[in-house]
Parts: sequence; C-alpha cells; structure tokens
Amino acid sequence: MSQFTQQVILGLLLGGVYVAVALGFSLVWGILNIVNLAHGALVIVGSYITWVLFTRLHIDPFLSLPVDALALFVIGYALQRGVINRVIRAPLLFTFLLTFGINLVIVSLLLLIFTGDFRSVTPAYSGSGLHLGGIVIPYIRLGGLAAAMVLAGILWVVLNRTRSGAAILAVGADRDAAQLVGIDLRHMYALTFAIGAAFAGVAGGIISTFQSITPTAGDPYTLQAFVVVILGGLGRVSATVVGGLAFGLIEVLGQSAPRLGSGYANAIAFVVLVVVLVVRPRGLLGRLA
Amino acid sequence: MSVRRAAYAVAGLALAFVVLAPLTSIDAAQQAGLPLLTDKLWFRIATTVAMFVVMASAWNIIGGLTGYASFGNVAFFGLGAYTAGVVVTNLGLPFALALVLAPLVAAAFAVIVGIPLLRLRGHYFAVATLGVGVAVGEVVNNIEPLGAATGLFLPIVRSDLLFFYLMLGAALLAVLTTWVILRTRFGYGLLAIRENEEAAAVIGVNTTFYKVAAFCIAAALTGIAGAIFAQWNSFINQDNAFAISDNVQMILMAVIGGTGTVLGPVAGAISLELIIQTLAGGGSGSVFSQIGLGVLLAVCVIFIPRGVIDFFGGRSKLSLRYFRQTLRETSA
Repeated sequence: MSQFTQQVILGLLLGGVYVAVALGFSLVWGILNIVNLAHGALVIVGSYITWVLFTRLHIDPFLSLPVDALALFVIGYALQRGVINRVIRAPLLFTFLLTFGINLVIVSLLLLIFTGDFRSVTPAYSGSGLHLGGIVIPYIRLGGLAAAMVLAGILWVVLNRTRSGAAILAVGADRDAAQLVGIDLRHMYALTFAIGAAFAGVAGGIISTFQSITPTAGDPYTLQAFVVVILGGLGRVSATVVGGLAFGLIEVLGQSAPRLGSGYANAIAFVVLVVVLVVRPRGLLGRLA
Repeated sequence: MSVRRAAYAVAGLALAFVVLAPLTSIDAAQQAGLPLLTDKLWFRIATTVAMFVVMASAWNIIGGLTGYASFGNVAFFGLGAYTAGVVVTNLGLPFALALVLAPLVAAAFAVIVGIPLLRLRGHYFAVATLGVGVAVGEVVNNIEPLGAATGLFLPIVRSDLLFFYLMLGAALLAVLTTWVILRTRFGYGLLAIRENEEAAAVIGVNTTFYKVAAFCIAAALTGIAGAIFAQWNSFINQDNAFAISDNVQMILMAVIGGTGTVLGPVAGAISLELIIQTLAGGGSGSVFSQIGLGVLLAVCVIFIPRGVIDFFGGRSKLSLRYFRQTLRETSA
C-alpha cells in the first residue's frame, strides 16, 4: 500500500513538471492556433540558463527561474514578431514545418555552444527529501510542483485580470473582431508567444534540477505537452493543470506495471493520446468546440 | 520556351544520365571524365536521393493529394526495414522475399492505425501520427528478437549498382503510382476529400475507405524503401530506421517541390538532398548542416509555400513580386 501511495505521489510530482511544460504550449496553441514544435527546445534553453547561472554564479536553481522567464520572453517575442508572424495565416502544415525548423536551429546552436555532454544542476539539498511514514518526497520535486502551481496561478491572473490578458483572449476568440476594436494583432501574437516561451523557460529551469540535460533533451517534452493539452482539454488553465497531473500519474503508474519499464514513456504517451482522441476528443475538462 | 518546359527538359536529360551512366563501367566513366557517378560517394548520394524520392512521393499521396499531413510515415519506413531485417537475418530467407513482405507489413499497419487516426484532422492528425513514429520506434527498441537497443545486422551485400537500381526502381514506382492515381476516379476522390471532406462524402465518396487506402499505398511504398535501405545499409536501429528528421525531410521535400503534383516531390527530393549533402560536405560537420536545414525550412515555408513547381509554372523570369505576394497572403 505504501508502495502504491509512493507511486501516486511521484506521479503527481512528475505531473507538476508536465503542467509547467504544457501551460505555455497550451496558450500558444489555443490563442495562435500554432502547435509549437520548438517548445521543447525553448524548455531546454531555460535549463541551460539555469545551469550556467548555477555553475558560474552559484545561484540556486529556483532563484534563477525568473531569469529564465525573462530571457525566454525576449527570445519568444523576437521569434514570433520576426519569423512566425510571416506564416500565421498560412495552412497549419507550414507553421508546423516552420516551428520544426526553429527547433532544429535552436538544438544545433545549443550543441555548438554547450556540446552534447550531459549537464546537471545539483544544489546541496538535491538528495534530501521529506519523510512521511514510509514515503519519501524529494524536496526538489516538491519545489518543482509548487513552482508549476505558481505558474498556473500567474497565467490565470494575467489572462483573466489584466488588460493585455483580455486582449490575448479576444485575439484567440476572433482575430478580425479583435483588430476591429483596435487591438494590435502583430504585437498580441508576439506577446502571446513570448509568454508561452517564458513559461517554457521556467519549466526548463525546473527540469534541470532533477534530470541531466542535453541539447536534444527537450524533444520528448513537445509530444508530452501535446498529450497533456489533449488530455486536459484546450483553452483553460485549469484543464492544463488537471491534464498534466493526470498524465504524470498515468505515466508513473504505467511504468511501474509489470513487464513495462521506463523504455516505454513515449509509447504510453501515444496510447493515452489515441485513447483520449477517440473516446473523449475534447479532453477531461474541455469545452465543446 | 518557358521555364517550365526547360525544367522538364533538364529533368529528362538528368534522368537519362542517371539511369544510363552507371551501365557503362565505372572505369570507362572515369576515363571519359564524366562528372558524378564515378565514385562511391556519388553512388551513395544518388541512392539516398532516390530513397527520398520514394518517401516524398509516398507522403505526397496522403499529405499532398488527400490533405492529411502525416508526420509518422517514418514508422512505415522503419517497419519495412525491420521486416527485411527479420526475413534476412532472423529467418535466413532471401532478400527478395523481404521486398514483397515489407510493403504488406507496412500497409497492414497503416490500416490498423489509419482507421482510428484518419478520423482526426489538422493538428490532431499531425501530432497523433508524430506519436506513431516515435512510439513504434520505441517499442521496436524494446523487443529482444529485433536486436533491442543494439539494432539488427544484415549480411553485407557489396554492390553499389544493385542498390542504386533497386532504389531507382522504387522511386519510379512511386512516381508512376502518383501519376496513375491522379488519373483515376480514386484520385479525384482524394482531391475532393482534400478540398472539402463533407462535400466529398455528400457526393458519394466513401471517405473512410479512400483515406485508409491512400494511407496504405503511401505506407507500402515507404515500406519498400525501408526494406531496400536495411539491406543496403546492412545495419538498422531505432535511430536510422525511425528517424523523426527523415520524416520532416520527406515532408519538406514534397512542400519545396509542390504538394499535390506528380513531379514536385521529385524536384524537392533532388534539390533538398543535394543542398543537405553540400552543407554536410562543407567540412564543418553535421551541426551546421542541421542549422542550414532549419534555416532553409523557414525560408521555403515563408517565401515559396506552394513549391518550386508552382513558382516556375508558366513563368518566364524570376520576379520579386512573387515572393512579396506570397508573403502578403500569409503574414500577420
């Protein structure tokens, strides 16, 4: 029983990471109708920033999260304004290919700068955890979950309680109508993508605390972010939170099943994806389109 | 003479050269100082180009004609490759049998995943198929008889000519298949599905059957390429048989050339593969070729979204106005 409880807790902690990764992805998809295949690469850029700050300046990984957010915000704004805005009205195959190209360029640049070596961020407390009965909760994972929940809160407040957030939602609802009431579309596209990228950067910072990073380590997260959004449902912050936690649980419990192992993470994600798409296409909390 | 006709003439000459040149012995070609095809590297590149012609043309049938942008066709390539591996290495049967079985296995798999997935559209279909490619590769990577993470070794067959002609044959088959499809009732059905699926269903197109059939044909062709690749390369594993980058490359080739056309994927495969080889051969290693590919992807998608065939179609000179117009049509 305590074994099972331990697995459930680990699943929820992993789910927190997926929430962090999927928030920005979901925002960009929901508002801009772009499935951003470069999302995983942006996540890993955040990881490398945290790693550099940790190894060079000895800054605690959790304190470097705002730096990740700021840096990725700038990168994201420039990417959307300079490049992706050029194809925003093209068929979706083109935004797909374009973001894949951006992914390729970012990963290659990371490879040039940081080489393919495994890098890890190991603060003093990374081995210790909270002991409750027979259950261990690692502090870093708990910190990751907490940071992810703070992120979700920030996104909800930005979208629902600020003027820019209202403009972003308006653009998502109807681009032409938004333009008619005086919203600067180019700026809003760029702002939305920048927020998505900033969230990806923070997710990357969280990931670097418990996983060795390489330039290609972000690729699986793009697929997982997609599955989380499908599982939860598109277009609501709460849906992404539920989807992320549920997916973390499914993955940990699935991998602890007999005869399966960590080698099947992507296959499990794919099965979840297909089952949800066939059985309940709008996701757990999604609204009807 | 229009640019289009000139392009066809050049393509015809190039094809004749490619088909006939290897027949003269390599020594003779070298003495005559003929460019290309005189050394192993160019054989390798020409075979690779033919392989991508197969994949891009096959992708075009489901992605270009039917309008379902599959990002998982590499699964069929990998399944074809592993079918060849099992037939030749595990069962000790002749490679010719693998050439027959590989397309059948790939097509059968296309039916199994196609029936649930082809109900999805747009992003959902694209990413679900992306998942197929990743998941199948991962499952194969965990199966012991298939060599698991080590991969499978096939007995080495040393014949550049044989594999070049096999791949070229597969490429011609793929192009011919597209050409035939476009001239049949089936082809018109696929185009109708691409333009408006509901309307197609209303006028009596059995959309599910048509889509799954197109997916099957694409899978079978891609499976053949995979089988030939396995024997040619004599080593297959998750990385080379289920490479996601191959998948994006085949799509990009079809898009650069012009989706929905017969010769577009061919033009795209030849030009893109040569560019990639040039970038890789620049001495700076594969990182720069990856950056080059990424930048190229962005440039093509932004400036010539309808492909080079459309760009050259009936045009007598290059014009900046074309780029400006496509940019205006798609940007914010």
